[in-house]
Amino acid sequence: MKAVAKKEPLVPAWLRSSRMIGACSVIVGIAIWQLAYEGLARTHYYEAYAIHHFLASPLQVIQTFGELYRSGELLRHSYFSFLEFVYGFSLAIVVGIPIGFMMAAQKKINYYLDPWVSCIYATPTVALAPIIMVWFGLGIFPNSLVVFLGAVFPILLNTYTGIKSVRENLVDVVRAFGGSPLQLFFKVMIPDATPAIIAGLRLAVGRAVISVVVAELFGAEAGLGFMVYFYSQRFLPGPVFVGIAVLVVFGILSFMALEKVQGWLSPWYTYQLRREVHGMEME
Amino acid sequence: METSAAKLVVQNLRKSFRSQRSEGSIQVFEGISFAVQPSEFISLVGPSGCGKTTFLRILDGLIPHDDGEILLDGKTIIKPGPDKGFVFQDSSLLPWRTVMDNIILGLELQGAGKREARKKAERYIALVGLAGFEHHYPHELSGGMQQRVNLARALIVDPQVLLMDEPFASLDAQTREIMQAELLKMWNQTKKTVIFVTHQIEEALYLADRVVVFSARPASIREIVKVGIPRPRSLSVKRSKEFLDLADHVWGIIQEEVLKSMGREREEGVL
Repeated sequence: MKAVAKKEPLVPAWLRSSRMIGACSVIVGIAIWQLAYEGLARTHYYEAYAIHHFLASPLQVIQTFGELYRSGELLRHSYFSFLEFVYGFSLAIVVGIPIGFMMAAQKKINYYLDPWVSCIYATPTVALAPIIMVWFGLGIFPNSLVVFLGAVFPILLNTYTGIKSVRENLVDVVRAFGGSPLQLFFKVMIPDATPAIIAGLRLAVGRAVISVVVAELFGAEAGLGFMVYFYSQRFLPGPVFVGIAVLVVFGILSFMALEKVQGWLSPWYTYQLRREVHGMEME
Repeated sequence: METSAAKLVVQNLRKSFRSQRSEGSIQVFEGISFAVQPSEFISLVGPSGCGKTTFLRILDGLIPHDDGEILLDGKTIIKPGPDKGFVFQDSSLLPWRTVMDNIILGLELQGAGKREARKKAERYIALVGLAGFEHHYPHELSGGMQQRVNLARALIVDPQVLLMDEPFASLDAQTREIMQAELLKMWNQTKKTVIFVTHQIEEALYLADRVVVFSARPASIREIVKVGIPRPRSLSVKRSKEFLDLADHVWGIIQEEVLKSMGREREEGVL
């Protein structure tokens, strides 16, 4: 038998994890953007078409970020947007989860509310934002209302579905032991519906971030959406990209935070999901 | 049979479901009567779809019946409660609770303190052979171990009667045999009255003092077969002549019933 010399793998193991590959992909993408910009800046098109009014290189964006941060402008805008997000999203949770519960628990409530929910859910928030501005003026409150409208339905509907799809056999267990409806609710319904509710929250985060921007585009005196709009009107792409980047990072972080909450509240669910998807058998 | 000293008496039980396909109703069973003695182990067999599980759920009070009476210690059963322990077919463990916390569920629902309940649970964990697995979650257990938890959860409330709904049906053949032998051991220690539904004739005979054989739907009792094999029974009794003769006998009845119901379904155009 011929001895095969073991070759050292070209890429070390720690670099081959899915996370590292993803990170590398993003870094390479940004690098290409930078190089393309540098290349463009050396051609005559750059001057002829005033490219610097339309595009910014990643390095310029970072530089602008520093300037906006030091001047306090970025923090002020972020603060306003953050407040709108927190108010709107919290209200969406406080309203969406109980109504979802009630609609799932009481058929009659469902009959009354379902057409309303369907209608308002189908209405694009973008279309409601202007009239809300007309009613309530500019400021944090009307913007939070737009965020609320954007976020409440995924939460409400997922809560409803979560409660509706609580496993019948688990309900039977509590009933068989003579458990009360209240015990059934707290010991089976809520824990079994938790994964669905958190999935709703994750959908809602994305919609809430969009709503923050939409609301601020229509009317605001501050906020990241406002900032993006303001600077794009003045053909200053640097601050525009800074605003977008902050929104992206915020969205990703909230999404990841909810993923952590999911793993923390319902660790069993991750396992169940994996088994359903891959048909894994217990050994 | 002396019914006054009986643990559980079923008198003239009748149940029908509203039909989904046509007007009217489907008779599930009718005129079911029998009495179970204290500490007796009863198995219930019958052709598939004859309503064994429905019958057991009615005994527990999980679903209502139309007519007749069920008496546990002379008192009518109207709703589920801790006087009956139900062992479900799929283990139905709460996936967010550990083995320990699944087992104490029944006590908890009755308002017992967690600490006190956990202390009591240790005995039952040992009884079903799960010592060392107290803090495991259901998904970390094999099917056989999940059913042990299921059993301990029913036993801990100290029920008057244990209702078992094909608890070993989803286990592989080897695990099932082991679980049968262990169930007998546990039964011997706890001396509970047991009603055990199964579709496996061999399992029914091995476990029971008497085997109640249901007919095809609408079900009635075809025969109650007394199993005179002395206890304790080792797994090898399953190969004894006496056992095989009994199995043949029960098989004969069920085969007859299955053929009858197939003939009827053919007439009704189902098959």
